[in-house]
Amino acid sequence: MTQQTVDRRQFIVSVALAAGGMALGIVPAAARERAGAQGPWATDDPGATELSPWIEIARDNTVTFLVPTPEIGNGAMTQAAMNITEELACDWSRVKVEFCSIRRNYMEHGVYDSGFLPFFGGHGTDKVRMHHELQLGASARERLRTAAAQHWGVPLATIEAKDSLLTHTPTGRRLTYGEVATAAAKVRLASEPKLKSPDQWTFLGKASPSKLNIPQIVTGKAVYGIDVQVPGMVYAALKQSPVQGGKLKSHKPEAVLGMPGVRAVVVIDREKTPGTPVPGKATWGYSTNQLQSGVAVIADHYWQAKTALDALPVEWDAGPGAKWDTVEQIYGAARALHDRPGGKVLRESGNVDSVTDGRTVQGTYSTPYCENAAMEPLNGTAVVTKDGAEIWCPTQDLLQAYWVAIDESGMRPEKVRLHECYVGGAYGRRTQADDVRVVIAIAREYPGVAVKTIWSREECFQQGRYRTPITTQFKAVLDERGYPRAVTGKAVFVGTHPLFQLPLGYSDVPYFTSGIIPNVRLSAASLPVNILDGAFRGPCYNSHAFLVETFIDECAAAAGIDPLEYRLHLVSRWDKSWGDCLRVAAEKAAWGRPLPPGEGRGIAITSWPNGAIHNFGTIICAVAHVKVTRRGELEVKQLDYAFDCGRVANHDAVRAQIQGGAIFGMNVALNEQLTVKAGEIVERNFDHYPMLRLGDKLPQVNVHFDALSGYKRWDIIGESPVGPVGPAIGNAIFRATGKRLRTTPFRDHDLSWT
Amino acid sequence: MTAVRLRVNGAEHEVDADSSTPLLWVLRDHLGLTGTKYGCGIGECGACTVHLDGTPVRSCMLRLATLAGADVVTIEGLSDKGGHVLQRLWAEMNVPQCGYCQAGMLMAAAGLLKRNAHPSEDDIDAAISNICRCGTYPRIRAAILRAADAGSAPEAGSPEKS
Ligand code: FES
Ligand code: FES
Repeated sequence: MTQQTVDRRQFIVSVALAAGGMALGIVPAAARERAGAQGPWATDDPGATELSPWIEIARDNTVTFLVPTPEIGNGAMTQAAMNITEELACDWSRVKVEFCSIRRNYMEHGVYDSGFLPFFGGHGTDKVRMHHELQLGASARERLRTAAAQHWGVPLATIEAKDSLLTHTPTGRRLTYGEVATAAAKVRLASEPKLKSPDQWTFLGKASPSKLNIPQIVTGKAVYGIDVQVPGMVYAALKQSPVQGGKLKSHKPEAVLGMPGVRAVVVIDREKTPGTPVPGKATWGYSTNQLQSGVAVIADHYWQAKTALDALPVEWDAGPGAKWDTVEQIYGAARALHDRPGGKVLRESGNVDSVTDGRTVQGTYSTPYCENAAMEPLNGTAVVTKDGAEIWCPTQDLLQAYWVAIDESGMRPEKVRLHECYVGGAYGRRTQADDVRVVIAIAREYPGVAVKTIWSREECFQQGRYRTPITTQFKAVLDERGYPRAVTGKAVFVGTHPLFQLPLGYSDVPYFTSGIIPNVRLSAASLPVNILDGAFRGPCYNSHAFLVETFIDECAAAAGIDPLEYRLHLVSRWDKSWGDCLRVAAEKAAWGRPLPPGEGRGIAITSWPNGAIHNFGTIICAVAHVKVTRRGELEVKQLDYAFDCGRVANHDAVRAQIQGGAIFGMNVALNEQLTVKAGEIVERNFDHYPMLRLGDKLPQVNVHFDALSGYKRWDIIGESPVGPVGPAIGNAIFRATGKRLRTTPFRDHDLSWT
Repeated sequence: MTAVRLRVNGAEHEVDADSSTPLLWVLRDHLGLTGTKYGCGIGECGACTVHLDGTPVRSCMLRLATLAGADVVTIEGLSDKGGHVLQRLWAEMNVPQCGYCQAGMLMAAAGLLKRNAHPSEDDIDAAISNICRCGTYPRIRAAILRAADAGSAPEAGSPEKS
């Protein structure tokens, strides 16, 4: 048994020794530990034995891939490694993966830039990047083969590469990749090797490996942003204007500066943002991530910082946002825009005004504010000196974070080092880097010392960049068979930033674009408010899916036509996979088989990111089977999903995303809403923001692969499943109880029936 | 500030910190054991679950002042090298997504298996009240059931002793 006495000073000293000089890049690159000891990020300098900035092979045959995609839980990091492995023919059990240095990307002119949103967490199988990664693997393999052929002085054609071994086939002599890696690094190929065709793949689409970082996760060793340890590090606790858009009026630092461990009280003020010294390349720009007025306490330990912050006298000037007494007032103002002229027409065909006779179905459908509520609270660590800035953060988009760090530090890009950590959930919240900006703004006020800023859970809730609430008024005029002859829709987005007012899942749905409904007019307007919106898993799609699919279900009910049959007709002029997804999900869910009173099935189909493009994105259908007691208690018994993303590169990863997305979307539909009081968000922690748990009788989630079209694409999965689950459950509740739910969360509705 | 002696993962520590500091922050900030996670700070989410004298507890709710002589096991001490049957199954069954909640889930699950080597689905649902935003619940339940089938779950590879 060891006897250890830990106090703060000793702790810092021992961490400094253990960490071996990680901070600031003061220590030469060679002395830095490889990642793993401190975190999942690669060094900022080229490795000695790398074959390319993406691939390093060590003497002991370990292969390390340096990849640009963050790991937010969807396996994008592992997928990148799988893509390279397919062509490199290396031994998967010896593969390691790290996050690339985004500074290197700048210094080496885009070595990690490839594909759509190359530094974004959601695209492990992006077409262009996947091709690039396969090519990198193939090139490296050919260089290894060449090096082996040269080593033995034999023809290249006699060398076989497999499982990180190079075999001279006539003699059976062998070399490991590690043994020839240094020589291979010097080989230049005359031309790039040709890639295998997808039918020749032996790993992608065949194997379903678990995520590479799971061994670290289950032992507590995975370094998330909040876990970063930097020598001499101190902590900051943060409070920004509780009414978003408000300003710090006054505070009394002297009241807390004498408290234990407290070092400083700093003010966060956007007037102090220096701005980038060179033209920036931020993925999403800077307007979505400006500083909000606030104050932070810096102390030796987080608990001291938080305790002092709670004791700090602060007064706020709430600003115009305080006029919203309740969230209902906001939604009422949004609904008032339905009948007012104006707004933008997103899609128009035929002439809806000319269709006057026929049965009319009309309704207003709405979704509320929700908080992303990633389990890892927002955080980040930064040290700013006059010579540079170094940041450790869990971002969803390295490029965005890097340029926001440059903008907020005012340093030239080469002086900014940013290290990606594992991301403890994000669902869009960590795309804009407003968090990174705050972390740097605080560290800049306390220069020369690494400051880890942690948002309390309460601060996360109050300072969200929330799901955009949408309210849509739909009207259909049905023809004599019961199908819409005309559809009019007007969506009102609550919020200010156009980036978060997306029509996806609304004006791109084949019902409205394929011509099956001859007269369509879909428009949109927006209501500006002080509350900031942002990206929420499948931005806006997660709302439109509910609004559109509830409305269409209501049309089917009015027409007296089975909702499956109704949808099959409405997608019949579009890609076959829409019908396939509907049929597979329905069949697997035993659609049409009689159920006892109080039970029902509901169906919904959606696609992300754009249903109006042929053979694109992920088309996904959910069937929900619910049971509602007479007293109105809801149980979702089963969910059946069928989908088409073209092809699948890792079956279990896709299954996991759909299972998890189903529960995420179900929670949104059943439970989630934020309310407002005098301009402030009321719900501040999970005690007032219910989350599904194991004890909530979770449904069986069945994921069916039978609707896959095999079309040559491996499209994105993570967003799609949150779309259809809410409306499928709502439509099932209608079948079970006769009650039509036009708003979420469902827990607000009385579901009792007789 | 008074120094408090407690045992963490088998090693004696004397922690010199404000007595109001929750065990969660003692572990993370003072002892450098960052495997235990902060999720809510109010006992709701379970991300901070550790074993106190052999029983799963939410470490954000326990103040240092009350912990003199306590015996604490964190995720870092659940097994020698990740060899606990649950850790192995978590990897094999690809349970975690973002993984942030999983240390707490594992500590809660390991605690359950210790009390009840063969939990039913209902036992699991009743015992594990942790939050997972990624929605990994079905896999967590499946992995615990498999661990129970494997039998003698709690001992496998675990140095944890009381
Ligand atoms: S952090 Fe302790 S229960 Fe959430
Ligand atoms: S795995 Fe992400 S919160 Fe549970």
